[in-house]
Amino acid sequence: MATKTVEFAVGRNPELGEQGGVSYAPLHPVDMPEPDLGSEHMLLNIGPQHPATHGVLRLVCELDGETVLKVIPHIGYLHSGFEKLGEYRTWNQIVPLTDRMDYLAPLIYNCAYVMSVEKLMGIEVTERCKVVRVIMMELDRIFGHLLWLGTTAIDVGAFTPFLYAFQQREKIYTLHEALTGARITTSATRVGGMMADIPEGWAEAVRDFANGLPATLDEVNNLLTTNAIHLGRTQDIGIISAEDAINYGFTGPNLRASGVPYDVRKDRPYYDYETYDFDVPLGEHGDCYDRYLVRMEEMVQSLRILHQALDRLPGGPINVEDPRVSLPSKTDCMNDMESMIHHFKLITEGIQAPVGDSWFSVEASKGELGMYVVSDGGSKPVRWRIRPPSFVNLSVIPKLAEGHLMSDLIMINASLDIVLGEIDR
Amino acid sequence: MSDDSASGSNAFEGVESGPLPSDAAPAARAGGAGSEAHPSIPALIERFGDAVLHHEVTAGDQVSVIVDAGRVREILEWLKTHADQHYEFLSDLTAVDFGGGRPLQVVYQLWSLAHRRNLRVKAELPLSGLQIDSVEPLWKTADWLEREVYDLFGIEFVGHPDLRRILMPENYAEGHPLRKDFPLRGRFSRAEQTRRALSPNVEDFYTPLEMELGREPQTIELPTRGAGAATPAED
Amino acid sequence: MGLNDDTTTGAGEVALPGGGVSARPDASGGLMGTGGLFGTGGPTFLTTKVDFVVNWARRNSLWPMPFGTACCAIEMMAAAASNFDISRFGMERMSFSPRQADVLICAGRVPYKLAPVLRRIWDQMPQPKWSISMGACASSGGIFDTYTMVQGIDTIIPVDVYIPGCPPRPEGLIYGLMMIQEKVREEQLADHQVNRAEDPLLVGVPRAGDAEVKGLTGPFGNSTRQNRVSGLVQSDRVDRPEDRLP
Repeated sequence: MATKTVEFAVGRNPELGEQGGVSYAPLHPVDMPEPDLGSEHMLLNIGPQHPATHGVLRLVCELDGETVLKVIPHIGYLHSGFEKLGEYRTWNQIVPLTDRMDYLAPLIYNCAYVMSVEKLMGIEVTERCKVVRVIMMELDRIFGHLLWLGTTAIDVGAFTPFLYAFQQREKIYTLHEALTGARITTSATRVGGMMADIPEGWAEAVRDFANGLPATLDEVNNLLTTNAIHLGRTQDIGIISAEDAINYGFTGPNLRASGVPYDVRKDRPYYDYETYDFDVPLGEHGDCYDRYLVRMEEMVQSLRILHQALDRLPGGPINVEDPRVSLPSKTDCMNDMESMIHHFKLITEGIQAPVGDSWFSVEASKGELGMYVVSDGGSKPVRWRIRPPSFVNLSVIPKLAEGHLMSDLIMINASLDIVLGEIDR
Repeated sequence: MSDDSASGSNAFEGVESGPLPSDAAPAARAGGAGSEAHPSIPALIERFGDAVLHHEVTAGDQVSVIVDAGRVREILEWLKTHADQHYEFLSDLTAVDFGGGRPLQVVYQLWSLAHRRNLRVKAELPLSGLQIDSVEPLWKTADWLEREVYDLFGIEFVGHPDLRRILMPENYAEGHPLRKDFPLRGRFSRAEQTRRALSPNVEDFYTPLEMELGREPQTIELPTRGAGAATPAED
Repeated sequence: MGLNDDTTTGAGEVALPGGGVSARPDASGGLMGTGGLFGTGGPTFLTTKVDFVVNWARRNSLWPMPFGTACCAIEMMAAAASNFDISRFGMERMSFSPRQADVLICAGRVPYKLAPVLRRIWDQMPQPKWSISMGACASSGGIFDTYTMVQGIDTIIPVDVYIPGCPPRPEGLIYGLMMIQEKVREEQLADHQVNRAEDPLLVGVPRAGDAEVKGLTGPFGNSTRQNRVSGLVQSDRVDRPEDRLP
């Protein structure tokens, strides 16, 4: 597998960095004996309404002075009953639910869900649809990482990257809007294809965006990658070893920052990902800084995939011709009784998936996103299960944060790139 | 509507004729195709014998193996540690309720990083005995996933260190939401739900563990980047 | 609109707009004579001018308290970021502390588990305060007519402006904030004694009574068909035979 180890622009001492001395401020706290302040511990509650918890996460911490001794996360403050609601909706009606789960990268969720249903029904989507979905997913990987970049930078005290990131995100919003009519809640996919083909000029607009993004990434790089404050806040913070990361179920950039080259796009390729030329960035220390570097590099790699996908975008139909899922044309409906009945049944009953279950996982921006659907042959699933990457990633936070300072807990939480809508579902 | 388009070469069943409510349960469709395709199945059968109840292939190429719920911990441990299996990554742990008084399924999705293989292990639990061994000692991932299944389905995981509700409030009184006999809007009226939600009680917000946190002094050793990080990485 | 008037009265009662006038001591023929600066019975030259100045200052420095939970929070962030920039409207400072906030923007769905948090934050905000319910889920529960979701935050706290959309665009949020500004412009200090007084007994109590919650949360649209018409599954409670398709 082609992997790429993210390189460190500077080491621990910024004076030795490539770009000369960045700062002479000591990055380590001065070594001195800790004053004995007694053993009185404090119980501190953060959240659920707190700007630094990236949603309605609640953390109950036990503090010894400023050191975090114990973290107990509480989730569920955004539990909306997605999985239960899905059992009451037909297969295609579930698509709008999926983009309300991870509203930071909705198109990936749209795709992952319909891919699991298509797997269950044995539908192979058209070539054009595959490439369009790859474009959509890579676009939203950047979309999700940009939000992570902006909000995380705010958490370490840098506001400018937030504004830069949102400038670029606005461009993706515009692309979403051109594609689906909505900025966030896209609901772009249907079982067997897409809601509609891409509009005219959309591919060129994506290309424009892809050409413009590297400049912003460079700017953010200049602001953060060798910034002494950023280094001090992220290096050596929240370290997890490769072995632990696997055992705790880490996936996505968080896992790869620990040096494990597991990427669903490479290990279990879907939609011809094996034919795209891209690297999987790997960290080596598994701390917050490596997670930052891995995500920055992933955006660059996503741009590479975007360019290749745009180059190979084939013509042809975007929806499959399968009577189980595709509606007959309007002309047929008006002229042909059979088509009329077929149309009526598909609309009123919804599509029917065969008995069985299927698991499909894709590489979302947060990690491995699995969709598990169980059908009893009806028009609604018996069970629709989402394997939420952030949920599993977040469960590690006690291990990562215990022993660090309170302010580092905020950085660790930010570096995990969580989205509560998908954790709580 | 699905007349002859799907007939022929499809490797899975249930498509051609469209399923009927009178069809047998999906478990009865266990085919022989999986055992050749998936090397873990014969090994499991050889090692555990009749603890492996049957296996099935769904969605074309996905292999599930249904095992005895009493020995699921043992089987998963073997699958995780045995050199030929090496499923060291627990992708997912969930449960399925089919309704109508049928047993609940606990579903484990395993992934082997070394062999790049997927395996789905299922165990069935009758409604009268919703207990199964926890796999939290094997995979830390299972900690929260098992708590979620306990919360939403009411399945008790024996040996889990901290089994309590995770998504619903600690004092939730309406039951386990993802069970099929649970109505979509909950069992109580909206007015009652609103009233209950806003009844403040400190114990509802903090667990007993948290209430007695922290009188013991403790120290924590932190890992560092190690010696190599002192110098910048060379290009 | 105008549910905020219920702040004093709480569940199920009717507010008394303008009731503050009668509560003041009758100073007719007092300091400035009839119809003067401090006249009685209605707004006078001085109070209207003071109202104007105070409201001008208030409406141009509304500090929002962003209670962002889900998708709408992202649009709220977009509204705060470079392209939309709500600091143009005097909302430069997103106040994450309810104690220093004027407008509560509830952006996103609110489950019952979060409802006491929302109520507490609202109770902690000092008067005068306004609230915006941003998005379908906050206003009515949206597509989530499920066991866990508050069917509209107006059962929990009073709401001044509802912004429709799923999620609303940043322009929608800005328009909602401008409606709040309009509302502030028309406030009269004289009415504050009544309209803005808080009853400590009502802290932490849902705004709507049982009957009102029932009225507000009735199922409609897709929510009314809460049955599963799927081949094999039979669920005792919700699957009524007459609802199943043949």
